[in-house]
Amino acid sequence: MPPVSRTYWRSLAQLEDRPEFRDALEREFPEGASELPDGVSRRDMIMLLGASLSLAGLAGCRRPVEEIVPYVAYPEDTLPGIPRYYATTMPFRRSAYGLIVESHEGRPTKIEGNPAHPSTLGASSLRVQASVLGLYDPDRSQSVRQQGTAKSWKDFVTAWGQLAAAHAADGGAGLAVISDSFSSPTLARLTAALRTRYPKMQWATYDAVSDEQRLAGLKSAAGRDVDLMLRFDRASVILALDADPLLTDPEMIRHARGFADGRRAGVSGGEMNRLYAVEGVHSLTGAMADHRLRLESRQIAAFVAALAARLSAPAAGAAPASIPGVDPRWIEALAKDLLANRGKGLIVAGERQPAAVHAAVCALNAHLGNTGKTVTYHETKDAALPSVSSLASLVAAMKGGAIQTLVVLGGNPVFDAPADLDFAAAMAKVPHAIALGHTIDETSVKAEWHIPRAHYLESWGDARAVGGTASVVQPLILPLFGGKTPVEVLGMMVAGEDDPGYDIVRDTWKPILGEEDFDRKWNRVLHDGLLAGSELPEVVPAAGTQAVAELSRTVASGGGAEIVFLQSPSLHDGRFANDGWLQELPDPLTKFVWDNPALVSPKTAESLHLADEDVVRIDYASRSLELPVAIVPGMADGVVAVTVGYGRSHAGRIGSGVGFNTFAIRTSTAPGFDGGASLSKLSRAYALSTTQDHGSMEERPIVRESTLAELRSGPAARTQGSEAAPGAEPAPAAKRGEGGALGVFEEDAKHFSLWKEHSYDQGPQWGMTIDLNACIGCTACMVACQSENNVPVVGKIQVRKSREMHWLRVDRYFSGDLSSPETVFQPIPCMQCEDAPCEQVCPVAATVHDGQGLNVMVYNRCIGTRYCSNNCPYKVRRFNFFNFTKDTPDVLKLAMNPDVTVRARGVMEKCTYCVQRINRGKIDAKLAGHPVRDGDVKTACQQACPAAAIEFGDIRDPSSRVAKAKADPRNYALLDELNTKPRTTYLAKVRNPNPDLKGVI
Amino acid sequence: MAQIFAPWWNKLPIVAALVAGLGPVVATAGVWYYFSPWYTDVGYRPVQPVPYSHKLHVGELGLDCRYCHASVERSAVANIPPTQTCMNCHQLVKRDSALLAPIRDSAQSGRPMRWIRVHKLPDYAYFTHRSHIAAGVGCVTCHGRIDEMETVTQMAPLSMSWCLDCHRDPGPNRRPVSEVTNMKWTPPRDAQARAALLSHERPVNPPTECSGCHR
Repeated sequence: MPPVSRTYWRSLAQLEDRPEFRDALEREFPEGASELPDGVSRRDMIMLLGASLSLAGLAGCRRPVEEIVPYVAYPEDTLPGIPRYYATTMPFRRSAYGLIVESHEGRPTKIEGNPAHPSTLGASSLRVQASVLGLYDPDRSQSVRQQGTAKSWKDFVTAWGQLAAAHAADGGAGLAVISDSFSSPTLARLTAALRTRYPKMQWATYDAVSDEQRLAGLKSAAGRDVDLMLRFDRASVILALDADPLLTDPEMIRHARGFADGRRAGVSGGEMNRLYAVEGVHSLTGAMADHRLRLESRQIAAFVAALAARLSAPAAGAAPASIPGVDPRWIEALAKDLLANRGKGLIVAGERQPAAVHAAVCALNAHLGNTGKTVTYHETKDAALPSVSSLASLVAAMKGGAIQTLVVLGGNPVFDAPADLDFAAAMAKVPHAIALGHTIDETSVKAEWHIPRAHYLESWGDARAVGGTASVVQPLILPLFGGKTPVEVLGMMVAGEDDPGYDIVRDTWKPILGEEDFDRKWNRVLHDGLLAGSELPEVVPAAGTQAVAELSRTVASGGGAEIVFLQSPSLHDGRFANDGWLQELPDPLTKFVWDNPALVSPKTAESLHLADEDVVRIDYASRSLELPVAIVPGMADGVVAVTVGYGRSHAGRIGSGVGFNTFAIRTSTAPGFDGGASLSKLSRAYALSTTQDHGSMEERPIVRESTLAELRSGPAARTQGSEAAPGAEPAPAAKRGEGGALGVFEEDAKHFSLWKEHSYDQGPQWGMTIDLNACIGCTACMVACQSENNVPVVGKIQVRKSREMHWLRVDRYFSGDLSSPETVFQPIPCMQCEDAPCEQVCPVAATVHDGQGLNVMVYNRCIGTRYCSNNCPYKVRRFNFFNFTKDTPDVLKLAMNPDVTVRARGVMEKCTYCVQRINRGKIDAKLAGHPVRDGDVKTACQQACPAAAIEFGDIRDPSSRVAKAKADPRNYALLDELNTKPRTTYLAKVRNPNPDLKGVI
Repeated sequence: MAQIFAPWWNKLPIVAALVAGLGPVVATAGVWYYFSPWYTDVGYRPVQPVPYSHKLHVGELGLDCRYCHASVERSAVANIPPTQTCMNCHQLVKRDSALLAPIRDSAQSGRPMRWIRVHKLPDYAYFTHRSHIAAGVGCVTCHGRIDEMETVTQMAPLSMSWCLDCHRDPGPNRRPVSEVTNMKWTPPRDAQARAALLSHERPVNPPTECSGCHR
């Protein structure tokens, strides 16, 4: 077994090989994992069991009476048991995700991307996948409320009529509306109509997490409101400046696909892209970068100025003095690369950066000829653009008593408005406040009227995606709790009448589609999920020669630590706080669950004598916050990053009280980052739960990577792709070439087995490959799997005991320098080993192998010995220590997939390659009279992956995509020396470092 | 000195041996049968909210199974018909029958009928009707002579071993797909004629592995 020359580590505890890490590692189910919680001991339990057995009789042996309840009249074209698929759209900020949603008996259960829609391309993101749970949130508000008393919508309409009459007199001078940003033809039309009706009305568009700095920068460059569209698929050199286009950007699905396509192109002989990242926090995009430079967010402006000088951009001025901590060779190599790739480069600045940086980046892109190619601009249309200043001026008016009626149409300003505005106090001065909310949230609790908000899956509406593609939001179910959409509330405010959302949206689309033959065209839009040809025309902003000169006027904020406000990749600004899947989803990079610790770099922690879980107090702008700290390698020193969206008080049973409210120290002048923060260690600790140490590589090459140069020059390049023999070992890998320092191309091990082999010569043989080169670690696959397979949520304490139930996990490995490591992500589903160690030790044959190569888990046979999990070298099996689904509220049961068993306590479960989808695909094919075609059966993870990193299919069919992927010389099996013959294999990651930067960190 | 053990104690070893020998056998046999679906499920005949008679509607009037259970060829479940299906006829036929009052109530109020389920598999076993119809398994094979039942009775245990008996040897239980709903169909006596009849049908390969039904 050749040694691995690169060491991988997952956490500082592992790197330092601390004794508690060793202890935690040795036991898969750590100390106390199989103990009952809260002091009930085994002895007590057995005593109780004995007593209850003797007391119980055998009464009730007959099975319970079950009812079967049909419809009164079937909806048209419906037959029970057959899922239906509808195209709809999920609006999110100013993006729109085109979706196809699977509906069982009228209940939406699973969301997929719409392959025809440019923003999803058939894939989805973790938030899109988790959004279905929001529909069935048991804490959803269920009625209109006035001062806490349940009322009806009619009551509100009557009350509004009176308010409207009062406001009509003065043209709406005392009327104000707060909305979050949107991009929707109907909402735009209604907003305009409302402004016409009440000309003096005040309107604030506020997003807690917003890109208004970018919009301001672009506006100064273009002279009007424009938005941009990044085209990663066309970019060969990408520079991300404090930006995270691959995860937290609303367009991440499209970006991830484009980026992954660029990486795949390189491996298959074309040109591979190269990603540079300059950032102070460790983002997912930075983790994917070939070269990453740690630089405080407030230094980015100076960096851009230095880069502009190297690029000889107009008005760049002389090259400024070197930036402290930045190796000048770095900027040199970067500039050279960008110049060598004019028209194929892309500079992206993150949302937190000030407008001047965005304007300068726009100018640099123009200078490099990237405009119109890798970045396109278009006028914003039908959009409400976010503006903190609009909220600030409204709050001032509210405090001055000028506002009589406030309508909060979207967002939760009491929770997430900047702390210096003191929105709650301002709202208390408004006599009539009306809040539209998903739950009775922080804003609704303080409002006079609360209106339950309809979820997008039960709404009529519309949206324009980035780039302009218009689509309709089509409901799959009537509002479960009588919720109202912003369209309906606005419509009522405009017209005074209670029109259904359906009519309002159609009224908007009649001019768009044309009155003639409208119904047919409307049905076509609903069916397709988008309006073909509705993209907005491109505009080219002016070269903006002043933009770069402006940069020098952006003074880096004063001393002290830098505080950065990160959006939560899962909860966003806190709106998804009551979504159990998202709370339990490990943060893609830091792998923390159910909490938002303050993130600092190892050196910063060392200087303050901080360890993980120590509580610190952050003092910033005369406010302070106490929260635990977590050390994240790769962050810039002197930076503390806090995540917003946690610490809610009125989120519901899942989200309330979870985490720490960082909005409390965030101001309107610096919502992204600022200097002047200071950290002081307090003497207490706070337990955090993380999944990053649940497993370790133990010096084995679980993750393999190489560089593009090695891949191209190594002997593997000369190996012809050999077809994967059915069910046998992976394609024989080439011998390790000289200078191949990373141990990718291992010598082929002799595979033989003591066990009688199955024969795999009949029917489809399922296999999967996961391309580590494409995987960006976004964990959309994890949530998709959870949604498809009814995987339960276990809570923070159980996760700490390694009892998380995710069938698919994404491991994150660091390597290299402690302060600035490289990162690689590896999703681990069940390997579906042909010689599965788990099958060999099950005493009751609850896990067996089938003829199509799957390792099958039979829940009803399992007696819970957990020997299978013990024997699994990959630790992919999850055990139901408790009855996690016993207390599921009835409404949440609607979210479950009826095609998958819901597991009870005491059974083992694991990834099944979505056997329910395989079975349905096989039955469909059988009844249609043809064999299963490649692409007919897609696993949930494969379908969700925005980077298309997962291939799945019949490995016996040489023309299938998965068979071709397995023939790739990069293909390897995990721990193949154990001879488990896994059907899930990996394609090694390929980095594309710049040869000029060899040895430069 | 008095005898400690009375004479009847002499029979004890024989009795003990008989009990020890036969007892487990009887207990096992009892559990084997009385705890199996053959006893607990076969013969289950719950009282339905409306005494719908299949014997009348199917046996005498000649309704095809699929008129009501319409999804059986295309879906995994064979649906219970909606109230609308009953009202198709009964808005004209027997309009005022007292027995049909719950149906009329349901149609008027929009509240569905709550029938009692007769044939039920455990939640972890997934049965697909459409595969079986397409494979030529007759309704009568699993459900018995529904056309002779006033009240639906479960006639087959629907246990896993019972299902596997057919899955391992489907031939004797298959019929041409056109005869699937024909409760009175009998296979031709001649083995060759039987084989010829089935040769026109699609070959079947019923799953006998766990993943076929357990997901």
